[in-house]
Amino acid sequence: MAEVRLEGVKKCFGAVKVIPKLDLTIADGSFTVLVGPSGCGKSTLLRLIAGLEETTAGQILIDGVDVTDREPSDRSIAMVFQSYALYPHMTVAQNIGFGLRLARKPRSEIRRRVEEAAEILQLQALLDRKPRQLSGGQRQRVAIGRAIVRKPKVFLFDEPLSNLDAALRTQMRVELAELHAKLDATMIYVTHDQVEAMTMADQIVIMDGGIVQQSGSPMTLYDRPANPFVAGFIGSPRMNLLEGTVASDAGAELIGVRPEHFVLSNDAGSWEGRVRYAEHLGSDTVAYVDVEGVGSVTVRVSGEVPVRAGDRVFLTPNQARLHKFAGDRRLAA
Amino acid sequence: MSGFTWRSASRICVLLLVSSLIVIPLAATILGGFKTDGELRAEPFGLPDVWRTEYYAEIFADTRFWRYLWNSLVISLLTVALTLILGSMAAYAFAQAKFFGSRFLFSYLLLGLMFPFAAAIMPLFLTVRDLGILDTPWGVILPQVAFGLAFSIMFFRTFFKQMPPELFEAARVDGCGYIRFYFYFTLPLSTPILATIAVFVFVQSWNNYLLPLIMLNDRAGYTWTLGAMDYRGEYISSWNRTLAFMTMTLTPAVVFFIAAQKYIVAGLTGGSVKG
Repeated sequence: MAEVRLEGVKKCFGAVKVIPKLDLTIADGSFTVLVGPSGCGKSTLLRLIAGLEETTAGQILIDGVDVTDREPSDRSIAMVFQSYALYPHMTVAQNIGFGLRLARKPRSEIRRRVEEAAEILQLQALLDRKPRQLSGGQRQRVAIGRAIVRKPKVFLFDEPLSNLDAALRTQMRVELAELHAKLDATMIYVTHDQVEAMTMADQIVIMDGGIVQQSGSPMTLYDRPANPFVAGFIGSPRMNLLEGTVASDAGAELIGVRPEHFVLSNDAGSWEGRVRYAEHLGSDTVAYVDVEGVGSVTVRVSGEVPVRAGDRVFLTPNQARLHKFAGDRRLAA
Repeated sequence: MSGFTWRSASRICVLLLVSSLIVIPLAATILGGFKTDGELRAEPFGLPDVWRTEYYAEIFADTRFWRYLWNSLVISLLTVALTLILGSMAAYAFAQAKFFGSRFLFSYLLLGLMFPFAAAIMPLFLTVRDLGILDTPWGVILPQVAFGLAFSIMFFRTFFKQMPPELFEAARVDGCGYIRFYFYFTLPLSTPILATIAVFVFVQSWNNYLLPLIMLNDRAGYTWTLGAMDYRGEYISSWNRTLAFMTMTLTPAVVFFIAAQKYIVAGLTGGSVKG
């Protein structure tokens, strides 16, 4: 368990500034998710913490110790890679115990710790297999086992679930959350999937262009996005961001309304529009509505609602949940 | 089973033709050792009337034959070992480490590919003489290694570059540096390319005639290629003995190839990255 602090961290690749200047604190024992679109610098940031990339400037402190110039193996971190990166010529047990073997731990201790890790991850039956004999989910578990066995202060995950299918991803998400609860360790997790971020994180750090756009608990980001980028990134379907008279009437340059914060009616409402397309998911109904003078609006209603393309409908946004923005910042509600 | 097709028939014909180019001379060599000289002249490709084993037995009993074979084996194995160690280490540095001048240095090494062996024989002789290793196995081994490095480094580097970079990163997090990674990962994961290069280098060294001819003067240090000449000189009309000798000397190279063959399969890295 440890706090991770980044102070004035910069990273350039040649002339390209990937991370301009970044200060961030990741609380001890938290599950922090770095999220953002492709190329936003989240993976680079993780690799800087891991020591796989050198910082151009700034300091990285883990548990109060400056590790900026230390080798990855001397930082008390463990990393799980997107591609698993298992050692193909070693068995599962050898894969998990390799770090301990390099650290010249006694054989008996290596065996005990490998078995402990295998038990946590239910890998006992697979210890003698080679990686190529395992399924995707099992491989990912071995990769996590390799991390656990070192008892690091900080776990780093680089999009670990993106190679798994949807069902397995959901299952592994739950397992990772349980693992966090069990190990009570600091975990930093990189993903571009905001559902993963919302479901797993204590703290989400949203990045774009190497800059932290906002950090906070998932609900803080959902309820009070600091700027239009965060507003649009968090939530699915994404928030309706509307300009023009509808925004100026509300005293802002831009207003945001989440699709679930509308009341949909057939006979009365603030805005009138025509349904362009409707998705019936059973649990929800998502309608794409063209509203005159406002533009295209996405609406999500709980349960099955019998709307069809071409229907005329009325929408009423929940005023209490309206997000107002001027330029790049949020206006006080 | 599918029936007769002209396509498969023609394919079989071509394969038979190509394999006969190798099999017929090889069979003639092996069988020639069982024939008398007269029979060999009359019918070089047929089966012998009587299987005479005395020529083979004669060579078996000849201590010179074993000495030639031993000399060739020592030279070839040392050449293989040195080429694999030096070539793979150099290629590993070119593939994994970023350092100033690496491209230039690599291109410089590749220049060796364009240099014909025979053209360098005179300066090679002078260098070996100046080093004082003339008439020793090293006088053959070191030039062979030097000339084998260019192509082995090129092959090794291509193979090493295909290794997923995450493997090195994961190992680095586990506490593995460049040198440990080379021994723990690069070498064990490279058996296919190691075996391929080893076979090339071994066969080349085993069959090398020119270099031993120039560098070795003492009969005690002769390799089998020089030894074969020796036989031919002694029994100028005795082709059956020469063929028996050739057959016996071919065996180690064939055995070495068969032993290495099973490793010449790619795909060992399957399962390391993604599914």
